[in-house]
Amino acid sequence: AAAADFTLLDSPLPARRRRPQPLPDAPLPRICTAGELPALREVHVWYLCPDELNNQSQLNMYEELLSPSEREYADSMKATMLRKDVVLSRALLRTTLSRYTGCKIDPRSFEFKKNKFGKPEVLWPLDDSTAEQPLHFNISHTTSLIACGIAINAHIGIDVEEKKRNTTKNILSLARRYFTPSEVDSLAEISDSDAQRKEFLKLWTLKEAYVKALGMGFSGAPFSTFSIMLETSKGIRISKTSNASRPGYDHLSENWLFTLAELNSSHYMSVCIEDSSRSQGPEDSPAPVGLKVWKTVPFVEDTLVSGTEAVKLIA
Amino acid sequence: FGNFAKRVSRSSIMLWRQFLGSLQVANVISSRSSVSFRSQKMSFVSIRSRPSSLRFKICCSATGEAQAKKETVDKVCMIVKKQLAVPDGTPVTAESKFSELGADSLDTVEIVMGLEEEFNITVDETSAQDIATVQDAADLIEKLVTEKTA
Repeated sequence: AAAADFTLLDSPLPARRRRPQPLPDAPLPRICTAGELPALREVHVWYLCPDELNNQSQLNMYEELLSPSEREYADSMKATMLRKDVVLSRALLRTTLSRYTGCKIDPRSFEFKKNKFGKPEVLWPLDDSTAEQPLHFNISHTTSLIACGIAINAHIGIDVEEKKRNTTKNILSLARRYFTPSEVDSLAEISDSDAQRKEFLKLWTLKEAYVKALGMGFSGAPFSTFSIMLETSKGIRISKTSNASRPGYDHLSENWLFTLAELNSSHYMSVCIEDSSRSQGPEDSPAPVGLKVWKTVPFVEDTLVSGTEAVKLIA
Repeated sequence: FGNFAKRVSRSSIMLWRQFLGSLQVANVISSRSSVSFRSQKMSFVSIRSRPSSLRFKICCSATGEAQAKKETVDKVCMIVKKQLAVPDGTPVTAESKFSELGADSLDTVEIVMGLEEEFNITVDETSAQDIATVQDAADLIEKLVTEKTA
């Protein structure tokens, strides 16, 4: 999924949090559907399709939600399509976060900070009660779909990829360079090249989602240090490879939950969240990750698509 | 001159390493001739990004440090254009940022792999994460090629 997600952060804020800036006078359409907070081990995903959003006055409205630095970043994009993607991506994030504050916080008010590795997080105003229930988010986009995942009290990573996406490099070469030997073996067993490519993409999105959830950067958990196992009795699991004994690579498989789904028959979507319940013993099989998905046209229309043909759980 | 050039590039490698936070620079150069690092300007532009991509940019212009050859930059541009299917009208130059060309994480690793194949080098994840522009990629390539042949 695209790289433009985190790149626009404001300079580091002083230790004391600032209050949200006073809002401009332009009235914001008050069509905000408040969302019920996700439960434990539940992920909410809101997505939009850039190709379907061409109404210029709507796009202008979305652009008005952006902070000055976000707007500057959008302007730095050479291609119009990329600029639109940046605007939509930030608008999606801001409007989604607003829903989970019961629409009390205006989308324009949100401020962000970075963790020490650069992963963005919400910087909550000091006096707001929602700060006590930390809302975590992560964004992913392809040219045709932008998704925002939300979880409570759990770090989250999300990655989407078009099913039909082709690689310029040979699949097994890519896998040999970046994946683990056991993953290469499982891919090599697939004789149909299209099926092999799709399996590669599924593994790719799962690994991306995990690295993004960890929030330590690509080098914090190199793809070759852990394997994704798709079909265990406990769902999707990860296991460390033997060369992953360096300090800092101590990611325990049990702490992370995954879900892999097909969206609109056109995209693979992987979500990874921290298992904050820590309730399972060795015999317990963890409950599957709850997943709710909405397709949204911010301020206009939201459609719950999970539980329909639009969202097919793979694992 | 060959010796001098070698020492200059070794010291610039050490500068890079210092920034990547791995080695302590005990002594920069051990030789009879001296190379000084006066008036180095390092502007630390941190535009941190999502984990899997390359957006942590360090601008480093020390006097005497050679930038990558034009030939290297051109080859990188060609590989990037091909990977991202950049339309003919869109220029790709040394300053071009991968993010601004629409590279996603899969594009990025394919580009890195293409560079590895073209220049016969290996790029580890830490170094790859520091690449934001074509110039960064070209500089890293030359550094790795130099290290290989040193």
